[in-house]
Amino acid sequence: MAQAEIPYQEAMPLHHPHSWVTKYWFSQDHKVIAVQYGITAMAVGLIALLASLLMRTQIGFPGAIEWITPDRYYQAVTMHGMIMVIYLLTAFLLGSFGNYLIPLMLGARDMVFPFVNMISYHVYLLSVVILLASFFVPGGPTGAGWTLYPPQAILTGTPGADWGIITMLLSLAVFIVAFTMGGLNYITTILQARTRGMTLMRMPLSVWGIFAATVLGLLAFPALFVSAVMMILDQVIGTSFFMPAIASSFEPSASEYSGGSPLLFQHLFWFFGHPEVYIVALPAFGVVSDLISVHARKNIFGYRMMVWAIVWIGVLSFVVWAHHMYVAGMHPYFGFFFATTTLIIAVPTAIKVYNWTLTLWRANIRFTVPMLFAIAFVITFVVGGLTGLFLGNVIVDVPLSDTYFVVAHFHMVMGVSPILVIFGGIYHWYPKITGRMLNDTVGKLHFWITAVGTYVIYFPMHYLGFVGVPRRYYHNEPLGESAFYPASAELLNQGISIAAFIVGAAQLLFVYNLFVSYWRGRPAGDNPWEACSLEWRTPQTPPIHGNWSDTLPTVHRWAYDYSVPGEKEDFIPQDVPHRA
Amino acid sequence: MSSEVGQQHPLSLYFWIWGLLFVVSAGSYFTDFMEAGYLRWTLILTFMLVKAGYIVAIFMHLKWERWALIYALLLPPGALLVLMGLMAWESWDYTWLSRVVYFGEDPYPLRCPDAANPNCVPMAH
Amino acid sequence: MAQAAAAGHATIFEDWGSDVTTFKGVPWGKAMMWIFLLSDTFIFSCFLISYMTVRITAAEPWPNASEVFSLTMFGAPVPLLLIAIMTFDLITSSGTMALAVNYGYRRDKKKAIRFICATAFFGAVFVGMQAFEWTKLISEGVKPWGNEWGAEQFGACFFMITGFHGMHVSAGVIYLLIVAWRLHKGVYDKTNYEIVEIVGLYWHFVDLVWVFIFAFFYLW
Ligand code: HEM
Ligand SMILES: [Cu+2]
Repeated sequence: MAQAEIPYQEAMPLHHPHSWVTKYWFSQDHKVIAVQYGITAMAVGLIALLASLLMRTQIGFPGAIEWITPDRYYQAVTMHGMIMVIYLLTAFLLGSFGNYLIPLMLGARDMVFPFVNMISYHVYLLSVVILLASFFVPGGPTGAGWTLYPPQAILTGTPGADWGIITMLLSLAVFIVAFTMGGLNYITTILQARTRGMTLMRMPLSVWGIFAATVLGLLAFPALFVSAVMMILDQVIGTSFFMPAIASSFEPSASEYSGGSPLLFQHLFWFFGHPEVYIVALPAFGVVSDLISVHARKNIFGYRMMVWAIVWIGVLSFVVWAHHMYVAGMHPYFGFFFATTTLIIAVPTAIKVYNWTLTLWRANIRFTVPMLFAIAFVITFVVGGLTGLFLGNVIVDVPLSDTYFVVAHFHMVMGVSPILVIFGGIYHWYPKITGRMLNDTVGKLHFWITAVGTYVIYFPMHYLGFVGVPRRYYHNEPLGESAFYPASAELLNQGISIAAFIVGAAQLLFVYNLFVSYWRGRPAGDNPWEACSLEWRTPQTPPIHGNWSDTLPTVHRWAYDYSVPGEKEDFIPQDVPHRA
Repeated sequence: MSSEVGQQHPLSLYFWIWGLLFVVSAGSYFTDFMEAGYLRWTLILTFMLVKAGYIVAIFMHLKWERWALIYALLLPPGALLVLMGLMAWESWDYTWLSRVVYFGEDPYPLRCPDAANPNCVPMAH
Repeated sequence: MAQAAAAGHATIFEDWGSDVTTFKGVPWGKAMMWIFLLSDTFIFSCFLISYMTVRITAAEPWPNASEVFSLTMFGAPVPLLLIAIMTFDLITSSGTMALAVNYGYRRDKKKAIRFICATAFFGAVFVGMQAFEWTKLISEGVKPWGNEWGAEQFGACFFMITGFHGMHVSAGVIYLLIVAWRLHKGVYDKTNYEIVEIVGLYWHFVDLVWVFIFAFFYLW
């Protein structure tokens, strides 16, 4: 078979650009599309960062800025969460890393359908535009929280309950279309367009993580899509999928609702939502495995185990969703089932952590910036994962749910960890993309402020949660006597806010580094990190459209031949044959 | 891709299946004239699965694909079965019952306003 | 190539363990269509599962579909008559599609085009009948936000699910016509005409979804 298919891949027709527009805007080159995704995601990410700083101002210094009314506070909460999870993390890890790495790491010319790939980005851009438009519609963006629970999401009193929520849901639906077009491409490329010798079990773990996450996305986003459609119908034409009769009694002016099931929404949302957290986590797992292996000059410990852990996490992530609903009033018997599955999914997750640690064990570690980020990821992920085990038990979760403990958990595990990997990945692959290194000193400064700051911000939140500070609460002045938690919480909140401002500002260092190094950075050469995987073996750096010369490379080994005993070099690239 | 891709089957096979699909559809249509009950529900499901099976296996050629593809397509929907099972359980055994208990809605007269109507049976009972 | 299932289960490990392609002999477009259909299955299933949930939890009576959808013929109501005709219409279109695929692989371009057009015709007829059915129901008082027959989720689910399916059929008709046109223009002459099978997969899937809607919404 390979005999017939490889020439087909080699001769794959490419749509070469003829003008600036087709080169940088409507490009069909996966590398350009990756950068487009990356820049757009980072731009909306900055908006989400600003929203979080507004929130922190209000929490740490209630009343300091009058402009932050309760409505605006809730809108900031919602937009922050939604943008970070969907439009930044998902789009960046799959749209950007996925697009850039899949064809290069697998030795393909491009994605199998470059045209669809191009459209995918532009539909994503459209979803971002719709999302941003919600800031300008009457009533502003929705303030329902990123989980968008009905009935409150569409009842007056919630900010943006008329236009805001509709634009939000519409934007999500469009995003899902974009994701589907991209995702189909990634999967088909990974399954059907690898180069000679590239078996699945020789793929770098980055590709494995992206592959599994994309499968999860294609199967989980439908639930979000369906709930978005139903909620739009409830809101616009007055159906009652999610709206019980009692909702009408809060709001006599609105439609007559009867018999809808708010629980149904929560089930659908989390049937999407839990896989979604792994859509974000799995690519990060993959990328960080590669970063650790390259910069520790050691093969990844337990490669096969790592692959199977990814696969099992993917499978199990579809049967744990209701651990987000322990206090939602669902069927009381479900707690047992979902607590069990939740604790089981921790097993493959823990295996991954052991393997990263064992890879680092007695390794010849190079403390480069990407490596620093990778190590910080492992530590942060362990912290976040452990609190997940607490929350997975119903009886422990009941008092902790909806407190800052949960906020601490998911920021550690899904907020900060993948962001650390994204930073690490950018420091690692920037030389490939631009041909120049990012500045090391600025990078280290950025790293230390971000990593230490993370702990200053999120560690105290565990304590806040234990003493009962609820999440998503707005209050305009210190609660004083009436507070149901100790006054020390206010002090902590101030400290957290100050740390957040510093960390937020430090991200400008990173943006600065990205820009300045593009022109001023040290030339990188072909393989600055001395890595084995195929993306470093293109004839040109940065790679040209089509990636390879007339023949595609042939792969002879896995991507982790570092420090092989008896070899001269401490790394052997994947396309180097075994000695006879 | 490789040039010998494709499916070659005698036309007669398609006509056969086509005919069978008509027969099975007619069968499932006639369940509508039966009295509601387990027999009818079983028949509805059986006809549905037979029809779906023919379409997927023969018309969509899945029968002739390699196992690698067949399994990749048939296993993931298992996740949906979990969702479906749990939702059925919760809706009936919990949500609906608590509606009846807490809002005092008497299930049976409501479910069958017209007791003489043989098509009306309480669901999931 | 009927190298197929007969080759035995061991091929699973060979195929997934091999280089270049995992699905042997499956062209890119066909692999992509299958994966898309898998994702679409999740969409339709989530719709149907939501329908199941609101139906089971409904405290108001659920209308009897076979009465709601009956047509009066010669003075007597015939239950589900139009729905039955629509079902047979879709099966007919599935058959013509299967023939089109077969002729495509025989490189009989003329016949393939003819049968694709026939399929598109039956698809369009289906959409027409659905429009008729919607109008009739709305005039009888079934609306997405309520109906005179009982639980209001009945109308909501009906319009949402058949509407989403109808959109798939309409999109399919357009897709079929585009493929027929491009076949006619000779765009695919250098290929094995696998595009016919790809559009066929989509079309059969739309029929497949109808099988489930028919069973769960109209008959249950
Ligand atoms: C060791 C494995 C994990 C366990 C046992 C676990 C358990 C839980 C539980 C029980 C909750 C619900 C808490 C509540 O609302 O009361 C939760 C929330 C959450 N988890 Fe995890 N988790 C784990 C790993 C992860 C990972 C890897 C991610 C993401 C990368 C993640 C992201 C989240 C998010 C985003 C939320 C909060 C969603 C919200 O309510 O807004 N978790 N986790
Ligand atoms: Cu979860």
